[in-house]
Amino acid sequence: MKISRRASKADVPSMAMGDIAFNLLIFFVILARAEDDSHLHWQPASAVEITASGAARVSVLIDSDNKYYINGQQVGETQIAGEVESLLGNAAAGERRVFFKVHKDAQAMYFEPAIAAISEVGGDLVHVLEQKKE
Amino acid sequence: MRKKRLRLSLLVEPPASATGDIAFNLIIFFLVCASVQPDSGREQSLPRSDQNSAEQTENIQVQLTRNAVMLNGAIIRQNDFAIALSRSLKGKVRQEDRVVIVQSKPDTPYSHWIIVTEMIDRAGGIVTIQTEEVQEMVVPNS
Repeated sequence: MKISRRASKADVPSMAMGDIAFNLLIFFVILARAEDDSHLHWQPASAVEITASGAARVSVLIDSDNKYYINGQQVGETQIAGEVESLLGNAAAGERRVFFKVHKDAQAMYFEPAIAAISEVGGDLVHVLEQKKE
Repeated sequence: MRKKRLRLSLLVEPPASATGDIAFNLIIFFLVCASVQPDSGREQSLPRSDQNSAEQTENIQVQLTRNAVMLNGAIIRQNDFAIALSRSLKGKVRQEDRVVIVQSKPDTPYSHWIIVTEMIDRAGGIVTIQTEEVQEMVVPNS
């Protein structure tokens, strides 16, 4: 007697796809929020001539409460140089861009030490500004 | 006569296979939103302190206060600053001569600082900042 072989099907259940994608969504949102500083409150100063800059490894931000943030993480004034240096690592010249986002009303006693710290570790400073409306 | 029975199917489940596509589209949406941030501005290269020449006293000095600007100690209107600075930089060819030292009072707002340093850049000056050094002194107990 000849017994016919039954081909077994092994499909990925399509019901699980939604759950997988949803978990991926949560993962990306949390990751983006941890590295991002879009949730911080600041208003850029305006300038006549601004140019589009490429991507930067480091973003230093001073918010409306004069608090310092590096890539969205709050740091102290004395930590800026060390943090920026470790994030830039041994990046070649031209790849050492540092976005500097400062609230337009922040005072020199807060933003000047940050500028000094960034230039001290060899960061290429890019002031993030908005186009001045005539 | 036979009456037709009205069937009410209240629960209509969406196809489960579509949820993956919906969530994937949401991922794309959030990633695109995250990448649309202002990243345009002005590059500024500050000369390092060890690159400053010994003839620092001959450099142009700009003092900034909360709402005023001084060029080599003389208060001038912000509108006249660009012309006055261009006049001061005229004839200065060497890079070290074009260094403009910017000293700001602690309460100088960033927006004011940006306007003035932009004028310096456009006039061909090289901005360098001079911060006040803080010295801590221990007073001995008498």
